Amino acid sequence: MLWDILLPAIILAGIGFVLGILIYVIGKVFYVEEDPSIEQVVELLPRYNCGACGYPGCKEMAGALLKNEAKPALCKPLKKESLPPLEEYLKNYFEAKKQQQ
Amino acid sequence: MDKIIALAFAGFIAENVILSQFLGICPFLGVSKKRSSALGMGFAVLFVMLISSMVTYVLYRYVLETLNIEYMRTIVFILVIASLVQMVETFIKKVSPALYKALGIYLPLITTNCAVLGVAILNISKDHNFLGTVVYTTAIGLGFIFVMFIFSMLREKINNAPVPKAFQGIPIALVVAAILAILFSRFGGII
Repeated sequence: MLWDILLPAIILAGIGFVLGILIYVIGKVFYVEEDPSIEQVVELLPRYNCGACGYPGCKEMAGALLKNEAKPALCKPLKKESLPPLEEYLKNYFEAKKQQQ
Repeated sequence: MDKIIALAFAGFIAENVILSQFLGICPFLGVSKKRSSALGMGFAVLFVMLISSMVTYVLYRYVLETLNIEYMRTIVFILVIASLVQMVETFIKKVSPALYKALGIYLPLITTNCAVLGVAILNISKDHNFLGTVVYTTAIGLGFIFVMFIFSMLREKINNAPVPKAFQGIPIALVVAAILAILFSRFGGII
């Protein structure tokens, strides 16, 4: 009786373990270096991936924000209190970029 | 040999995954606005479908059946498909960033694409052997690409057509899809 429950669980865990290792290996082999600031901007966005801004997801929106192609106001579900940190981050980012040039 | 050809024809047209079985409607409507992204999505789905049905076939026949736990089918299949999509996503991101951008949110959504799970389960319930699984899945995947391609061309034309305001966008697309489905349902009589 106990074995009837344990066996499927073990099989499923085993399959999951093998697949997890495969994903890890493929992630290492095909690693793409990304601008870490994109990840930080995504953190400041709502992360709903709703697409209301016109971009396919929050990540693409973040990329456009950093290229100054989009305005934070495009993001419809963004709460009022989370708008200032995002604007400040972008301001600092653009200033840092200017100084580099 | 006749059986293989019949299987391929059934998968490609008569049992077309979108227009006869109504699976995978989300990418069908979502990514069919442009021809290039429709084709990219089609090939990504074909790739995931083919690998996942081969893996799930082997897992079902040699692991689940030998241990008499066939009822684990759905959950194991979903696990396999989800992991495969993750791998394909990492792969496409590295190999073709343009395609990755065009597919956007629809790429992770292949995970929940019922066409992929549907084909994996159909192969088991129709008792195909390994060759049959490969042929049927390839035919289904090509049928998916074929319909996506036709539909994306139709939608590109519709974009320039004077559509009444109430029908613009998704409504007219659904009307076109319905007409296509009626056409395709006639092919069912051949087999």
